[in-house]
Amino acid sequence: MTSLEEKIDEAKRLSLQITKETDDDRLMTLSVGPQHPGSGHFRFTIKLDGDYIVFVDPDPGYVHRGHEKMCEYRNHFQNIPHLERPVIHDSCNITYAYSLAVEDLVGITVPRRGQFIRALASELSRLSYTLYWLAIYGIFLGHSTMFMWPAGDRELLIDLLERLSGARVTNAFNIPGGVRNDIPYNFKEKCLAQVNYFEKRLKEYDNIFYNNPLVRQRTEGVGILTKEDAIKLGVTGSVLRASGVPFDVRKVEPYDVYNEIDFNVQYMKTCDSFARAYVPVLDMRESCHIIRQLLDKMPESGDVREKLQFNIKSSPGETYKRVESGRGALGYHVVSDGTPKPYRVKASVGSFRNLLALPFLLTGSKLGDMPAIYWSLNYWPVEADR
Amino acid sequence: MGSLTPDFRFGNFVASIVWLVLVVLALFTVLILPIIFFSLFYVPLPIVDGQVLTPYLFFSMMVDPSRTLPIVQFFIHTDIFRAAIFPGFAFAALIAAVTIFVERKLLAKMQLRVGPLYAGKVEGIFQLLADGLKLLTKEIIVPSGADKPIFWLAPIMFVSTAAAVVALIPVASGWVVADVDVGLIAAFAILGFFPLIALLFSWASNSKYPFIGGLRALHQLIAFEIPFFLSALPVVILSSSLNLSDIARSQNIFWNIFILPINAFVFFISSLAELERIPFDLPEAESEIVAGWLTETTGMIYGLIQLGSYLKLYALAGLFVILFLGGWYGPQIFPQELIPGAHESNLPLLQMLALDGLYNPITVNSIFWFLVKTIVVIFLMLIIRGINPRIRIDILLHTGWYKLIVLTFINLFVVLMLIYGGIIGPEGVISIR
Amino acid sequence: MEKDKTQNNQTNLMEVKEEKSNLLSNSLINSITTNFGEQVKLVYKKENRSKIMVSPENLVETALYLRNNHGFDHAESASGTDYPADNQIEINYHLGSYSNTDYYPYIVVLSTRVDRSDPKSNSLINIFPSVEYHERETYEMLGVYFLGHPRNERFILPEDWADMPPLRKDFRIKGR
Repeated sequence: MTSLEEKIDEAKRLSLQITKETDDDRLMTLSVGPQHPGSGHFRFTIKLDGDYIVFVDPDPGYVHRGHEKMCEYRNHFQNIPHLERPVIHDSCNITYAYSLAVEDLVGITVPRRGQFIRALASELSRLSYTLYWLAIYGIFLGHSTMFMWPAGDRELLIDLLERLSGARVTNAFNIPGGVRNDIPYNFKEKCLAQVNYFEKRLKEYDNIFYNNPLVRQRTEGVGILTKEDAIKLGVTGSVLRASGVPFDVRKVEPYDVYNEIDFNVQYMKTCDSFARAYVPVLDMRESCHIIRQLLDKMPESGDVREKLQFNIKSSPGETYKRVESGRGALGYHVVSDGTPKPYRVKASVGSFRNLLALPFLLTGSKLGDMPAIYWSLNYWPVEADR
Repeated sequence: MGSLTPDFRFGNFVASIVWLVLVVLALFTVLILPIIFFSLFYVPLPIVDGQVLTPYLFFSMMVDPSRTLPIVQFFIHTDIFRAAIFPGFAFAALIAAVTIFVERKLLAKMQLRVGPLYAGKVEGIFQLLADGLKLLTKEIIVPSGADKPIFWLAPIMFVSTAAAVVALIPVASGWVVADVDVGLIAAFAILGFFPLIALLFSWASNSKYPFIGGLRALHQLIAFEIPFFLSALPVVILSSSLNLSDIARSQNIFWNIFILPINAFVFFISSLAELERIPFDLPEAESEIVAGWLTETTGMIYGLIQLGSYLKLYALAGLFVILFLGGWYGPQIFPQELIPGAHESNLPLLQMLALDGLYNPITVNSIFWFLVKTIVVIFLMLIIRGINPRIRIDILLHTGWYKLIVLTFINLFVVLMLIYGGIIGPEGVISIR
Repeated sequence: MEKDKTQNNQTNLMEVKEEKSNLLSNSLINSITTNFGEQVKLVYKKENRSKIMVSPENLVETALYLRNNHGFDHAESASGTDYPADNQIEINYHLGSYSNTDYYPYIVVLSTRVDRSDPKSNSLINIFPSVEYHERETYEMLGVYFLGHPRNERFILPEDWADMPPLRKDFRIKGR
């Protein structure tokens, strides 16, 4: 196992070589994306020496919308619907961090029932995102059944979120001060039934996908990101936990009601693509436990939202709040100058941080490993571009 | 888009085609038939049974089944019928079409979806027709810098090569297009052309993804052709013939798969690789190289290549049945006469329905069992697509070179030991003939 | 700017946690101030967060000190904020720790202010490899040139972007 420095040196040497030998017929430059079934809204240029990738240059930005600039022109409530756009499948988590930051700046406490409900919404949202991610991982490996099953089971959670918030994916449910509305009648029973059914389905995913010897052959021992390298590259979320660091923001820095919930941080020590693909599934099991506990411990009645003025003014200052999203720690650095609009918003998103591991892992691997490594990084191109 | 109106209905589309056919028929009756008759008026016609053979007389003679059936009987034994219709192209294309539809429905059921549903009222049975029409009407885009003659020729070569393999597959005793003595070798030799066509096409399309796909197809050929040949070798030893019909006849009592289970397995895996189906669809791996060597195909070029690959699927399933599953042999379930007593009766209609003189119970039974076995093998090939991911190229090469070749030798030695030990074979204790 | 946090103070558990966090931040800040003295200015201290301001020339050694002595081994983000009134751009590094379990919940905001008319700053890429893309993004979004960064070039913006860096305050969105 080469260390990070050696690998970086090697990559630099190779890239120098490549710039020198641009006319060399030995290397073939392939553009993966943006119109490629294996890339998403994203492009990376790879150079191939035979079947080996010797150089990778990511080029994100195809869906850059400038959310950080847009935030400066809108007040805190107007910011919620457009901030969730980068990851509409995980919308409750991506607005959660912003809501926490704004609440910290304004200095309010969310009612207890509201805290439970938005934790519940964000767990459902995380499940729905992870299923979508898993579906794409399945089809990236050429496993069409694994594409259809999670995409179909995701409908259950989407239905729950629809009952909860009225929208299927773009929920805009977690807002500064709590949640937009109370849970509907009969939601608890429906939610429990769906989650119980969903847990059974997770076992079937194991049988058809994760225990399949061909999937194991393709993912085990591929794209090894050791603990040291993971720490140095500052990756987060399932990528970090697959490299043996039990870091989960819900556990290490519990926000809202997560300190009352009993759950484990799931991590693996094999550091390969298989671990990165399997840790989200372990996380989904934990999420099911968390949802059951949240439903159990939720106060029967009470406010769900601290009523705020539409143009609420926050005190001047800055804050950095983070939550655990489907792709890892998601932090919002919000600077306020005392006006209703934020002065500067910076989103530190998991995808953008995990992107750094892509050239590191792909350099030196085979072209056939490219989808298995790329999508195991839990990278969502739209979120990275913002 | 844009050419399809929002109120487009497939039913209306079919109805318009039916109208067109009716109009053409009406024009034919009203205009063209009179012209033919006028011209026949000036042509000297032959005399049959003392009567001038006018078209009316010809048709009224043809109505009598005792006259029609011999003509049909003669026609179905001509080479052109065999090559074009029954054991040949049309039959295989029909099976290919059914296979595509069944594959889509089967995969859909496995994946908890419904599959094709709308075209043709009942479970979308006309979906394939709709897709074919769509492909026909699509623009064919030739990439700039493409090697045009090869680019245009390759799909046609692909289909005709697949049809050439189909021509070697006997569906019943004597029912084969080309009954050659070196049938097995010929089949392997023709199958060896496919990666070459893929490579030519990928080179001709002047693009990077097809090029990688073509090279992958070539690698796959070399890794899997050898176990493919070797797994068929003990079959040849057992039946001491290369003729596919003879190989099938040698298994009338005892199927080869009971002696050669490992070889049957290797043959099955290798034929999956030959067909470029999941888990061996590396030349078309869409998440790595877009669509592999098919990236630059458009419209009917793509349609032809798909047709060719499903013809190949039928051919290889048929080959598996011939080599290992006893060919067309199975219990006789068809009666001696289709309608009992029809042979003795003088009613022309009953004779017509009983297909007297055409209906051969043994041949029909053979075709039936051959079809049943082939469909079972095709099903096995289809199911694998639903439960497996794509394999990686180095694992594929490793599997081909190290594992499958060794496995074929195990069974080969077992068969040789049994023969030299005098247990099976021509003078053995147990006769498998 | 220091704000007493009233929320989450209900349970004993929380108090213990807050005390621990206070202890941690106190020890961290003490060790920094003893080492760097007046060169480092504490901007705020909150639960699990503290922000320290250094001058641009002290940035690298403070970062090195934080990494070697306290185990802050990665940057969660590197970003900039434009202050046209002060004619300055503030660069913030949010540093976290994966190797020191005590500092798991802790984020140190290491910040520095550079001249807005000619923004140049030392890159931290040799100390934290994780800032590579964040610094590249800051370069194109705010125009801060990072000395020692191998690729100060376009990353997210369109390839034909010819306007000013868009996150500066004098870049206006059309129609707003």
